Amino acid sequence: MKTSGILSVLLFFSVLGLIVYFPGRKWARVHVNAKTAVDDHPLNCLSCHLYTQKSGFISKLINRKYLSPFNMAVSKEGDRLYVIAQDDNSLLVVDTEKKKVLKKISVGNLPHTVILSNDGQRAYVSNEWSDDVSVIDLNTIRVVDTLKTGNGPAGLSLSADNKSLYVVNSYSSNISVLDLNTGEERKRFDTGNNPTGTQLSPDGKTLYVTSRRALIAPYGETLESEITVLDETSQKITKRRNIESAYMMENVAFTPTGDLAIMTMIRPKNLVPSIQVEQGWMMTYGIVVIEQKENGRVIQLLLDEPNAYYSDPFDIVITPDGKKAFVSHSGVNTISVVNIDSVRSLIAESSPELLNSYSDNLGISSRYVIKRIKTGADPKGLALSSDGKLLYVAEQLEDRIAVINTESLETVGAIDLGGPNKITVARQGRRLFNNSGHTFQNQFDCYTCHPDMHEDGLVYNMASKDMGRNLTNTQSLRDIGDTPPYKWNGKNQTVYKQDGMRFSTVLTRTEQFNYNDLDAITAYIITGIPYPPNLQYNPNGELTESQLRGKALFDRAKDNLGNDIPENNRCITCHPPPYYTNLKMAYVKTLALSDDSMLFDTPHLNNIYASPPYLHDGRAATLEEIWTKYGKEDKHGRVNDMTKNQLNDLIDYLKSLRAPAYEHIVSKKFHAKN
Amino acid sequence: MTKTFRKISFRAAVAVVLCGIYSVAVINSQPSAEKSAANVHSKDDAKPMPVYGHWKNFTTKDGLPSDHAYCVRIDGNRVLVGTHEGLSVYEDGKWKTYTIKDGLAHNGVVSIDVSELTGDVWIGTLGGLNRWSAGKFETFSQLNSGLPNDLVYCVICDGKDVWTATAGGAGHYDTYTKAWEIFTEKNAPMHEPWTYGVSAGDGKIFIAAWGGGVIEYTTKTKKFKDYTDPDGEMEIDLLPDDGLVHDITTATSYADGILWVSTYFGMSRYDGSHWKGYFDHDSGLASNFINFIRAKGPVVFICSDKGLSSTDGKSWVTYKKNDNNNDGMAIIKNFGRNDDNTINKTTKEIPLSPSIAHNFIIGVDADKDVLWVATEKGVSRGELMK
Repeated sequence: MKTSGILSVLLFFSVLGLIVYFPGRKWARVHVNAKTAVDDHPLNCLSCHLYTQKSGFISKLINRKYLSPFNMAVSKEGDRLYVIAQDDNSLLVVDTEKKKVLKKISVGNLPHTVILSNDGQRAYVSNEWSDDVSVIDLNTIRVVDTLKTGNGPAGLSLSADNKSLYVVNSYSSNISVLDLNTGEERKRFDTGNNPTGTQLSPDGKTLYVTSRRALIAPYGETLESEITVLDETSQKITKRRNIESAYMMENVAFTPTGDLAIMTMIRPKNLVPSIQVEQGWMMTYGIVVIEQKENGRVIQLLLDEPNAYYSDPFDIVITPDGKKAFVSHSGVNTISVVNIDSVRSLIAESSPELLNSYSDNLGISSRYVIKRIKTGADPKGLALSSDGKLLYVAEQLEDRIAVINTESLETVGAIDLGGPNKITVARQGRRLFNNSGHTFQNQFDCYTCHPDMHEDGLVYNMASKDMGRNLTNTQSLRDIGDTPPYKWNGKNQTVYKQDGMRFSTVLTRTEQFNYNDLDAITAYIITGIPYPPNLQYNPNGELTESQLRGKALFDRAKDNLGNDIPENNRCITCHPPPYYTNLKMAYVKTLALSDDSMLFDTPHLNNIYASPPYLHDGRAATLEEIWTKYGKEDKHGRVNDMTKNQLNDLIDYLKSLRAPAYEHIVSKKFHAKN
Repeated sequence: MTKTFRKISFRAAVAVVLCGIYSVAVINSQPSAEKSAANVHSKDDAKPMPVYGHWKNFTTKDGLPSDHAYCVRIDGNRVLVGTHEGLSVYEDGKWKTYTIKDGLAHNGVVSIDVSELTGDVWIGTLGGLNRWSAGKFETFSQLNSGLPNDLVYCVICDGKDVWTATAGGAGHYDTYTKAWEIFTEKNAPMHEPWTYGVSAGDGKIFIAAWGGGVIEYTTKTKKFKDYTDPDGEMEIDLLPDDGLVHDITTATSYADGILWVSTYFGMSRYDGSHWKGYFDHDSGLASNFINFIRAKGPVVFICSDKGLSSTDGKSWVTYKKNDNNNDGMAIIKNFGRNDDNTINKTTKEIPLSPSIAHNFIIGVDADKDVLWVATEKGVSRGELMK
């Protein structure tokens, strides 16, 4: 081709490019502005159209499979560290001397906790998403048995004689007692709401179980979370202690002498308008100390400081000499070191009134917090060597274990677990999600109100300066990418809007995320938060007879009298699968006098059993109450013709609803069979 | 429901007339007073029938919130009593009462059971069901849960399962899965949803269904079987021992392989093959109008409107209070067989001072050497007489 020809072609494409570019760019600007609610988000197609791919080749290409260490156990000799790799469904056997992973053992889905038998021969791993415990022979490093549990096994503890295994079932809110001779479940006790932590007292007589979610109570009442106490000898519950104004009591530890039980906690201020964030004090963090004697007192001590919050306390361990407690704060990448003698002195010298006041005293931590040790991203589980000299910290979002000298209180090493080197956009988003750096004085992060990326079961006084207006029941963030709009009022059409400037205006009250961070957190929320399987109510896709009857009621077009139900008053109309929402706004006559006038975004119903309380302001404590107490006018579906049997069937069906991902698995299996 | 009440009223009237006729015809042996009490032996069976004496009565003067006691349950070292004004607990010689202020669903406590598995106390009230665990009350109502109805006449624990008899059907709650099932006339062979009693044993649940006899539910197969009165609407038991004595059942109790069923027209015993009926005219039963029964081993305790009876099917001990004072008697009747196979009936009366608190009895529980009785005018505690 001649030069003039080439030039002509280039000229043609240049002109065409310009013709396309300017209107195209204009269109892209409008498109991005609409999606982000700002007019200066970079026009980077990749941020939306690449990083938010949930599945497929591109998703596999750009994402990585991380390990995400969560909890740990150390051998008595201190030479082995057993690490739960939560996102890898495995237990890692680590040589602490060589700082090297020796072996990876596949366990169940989403392992949570590992403990070792007294003789060091067995490890027990709870698998939160497969409702079982893996029993591992530590000589052969193999899984030798799998024990069935309740729903969502998390914390584990062995009886003093090692004959019984206590399994805390976090989703079904109870504790299973497993007979290790037979492997059978002997009994099961109800606990507080969403329990996880458990610890046997040093004398082997008392088992504590902490709970994360508060007990369901009407808005305005002081929230309470239960500590459940089990007598080891009789294997009966002897005490249910409500801890006021506290929740998220993740873990518990006893002092070696057994005089104190100490657990982590959060004190949320959900009853005050959320603009309180501007002044600080929206969330405070600390420990609950319970004296282990007759009429022992319960003392709440904050670990925060007047201008700095230490968010999301997760684990707590106490040195064998009983002098120090270490608390991991996953929201600020910090370990707080607590002088326990100072705590004892403070308790001894304080009047009951003064002790009560400490729960709101941000300055009191200077009396007992002796050091803050920085860690990598998202410190979770802690483990002490048996001599108490080394503290291991699971840095969940680093795929790394930090090693801290408990005398010098310095980080002395790190164990790389061998996860991917690359930090993907979604992984960076998860770090942001779990980090309080974007809120005023580190008051909270996304995870604080959305633990497990779900919701915390609380109702907040949102976006208003007035007390008790616009009450908002926290919503789950699981798999929400395909269920816009967001917020109960549906004002945010995209996750970009939800987490962009509006988020900082309403919630964090500080600088909004920069656009790289916004892209990252959006990528994480859209791609990285799966639903747990619904093992309690729908483990395999086969509905029970009651659920099938409930489904017929859910789908029905005629009521019991044979009358047509208007299309907009049928369950299935507004709540069609796979997310059981039509993504539209609706009026179901649940607007309260305290609400601004609005329609409500139709919520998705997958795993709805796990999201009490219900309705936008959390007024319904149970699914039943949506209709028995608040559906009397038949505006939220036609239900008043139903018998109690039918309502129970409908509820049974609602509880069976699960994530589309699991339905696809069933569908694939079905097609493979056929 | 109104129709049912009419039917019941009619039946009751008929029953009263018939009972009057029969009472005239009944021939009793002459009573003979015994100063010393004894365990009563039936000739066929060497196991002694327990006799209780040294009665102590408790009323509001002793700390009960109400004299109207509906139920009683012995729980180790303490005794739980359901009254019209709350749950009362007797421990270390003192009564402590719990009401709606403490978290009780309703002050009218009509049924109590204790889970052997967990130690939790389950409480049936006139306004919902409570679980009382380690000092904390949790309420299940027809509005906040799958409980069939808030009128919970009976609650029992069967391993991890809790069963309720309510005015809206029988309810089954699995404490492990926290799932409810309801059994009514829609899905079980019942006459109507009203159920009064429920008991468990040998993998079966026995529901006393008002007007529907007894519904037997096998937990493993989830199959139902119903037992009704072969005489149908008849208030007279035309053919003796042909089945349940009446369809209006008030309670069931199962022990030692025997199902006992109480009605307002007599009592039935079923050993899995044969039915046997008992009436006040042909046994030691104090009255045909039976509110509640509880079987303990081979002995069943029967709460009637005219006193408390107990039997092992052969010998009878009935406790009655005198109308004009606090004393009363234990009436012991033996129905043994002579060598020539004729019935050998003997009757003894043991004076009791004091006696039980009242003859209208609604609840009973026995444990080792003590018997507790819930009556219209207080709670009574008797000791086994050696």
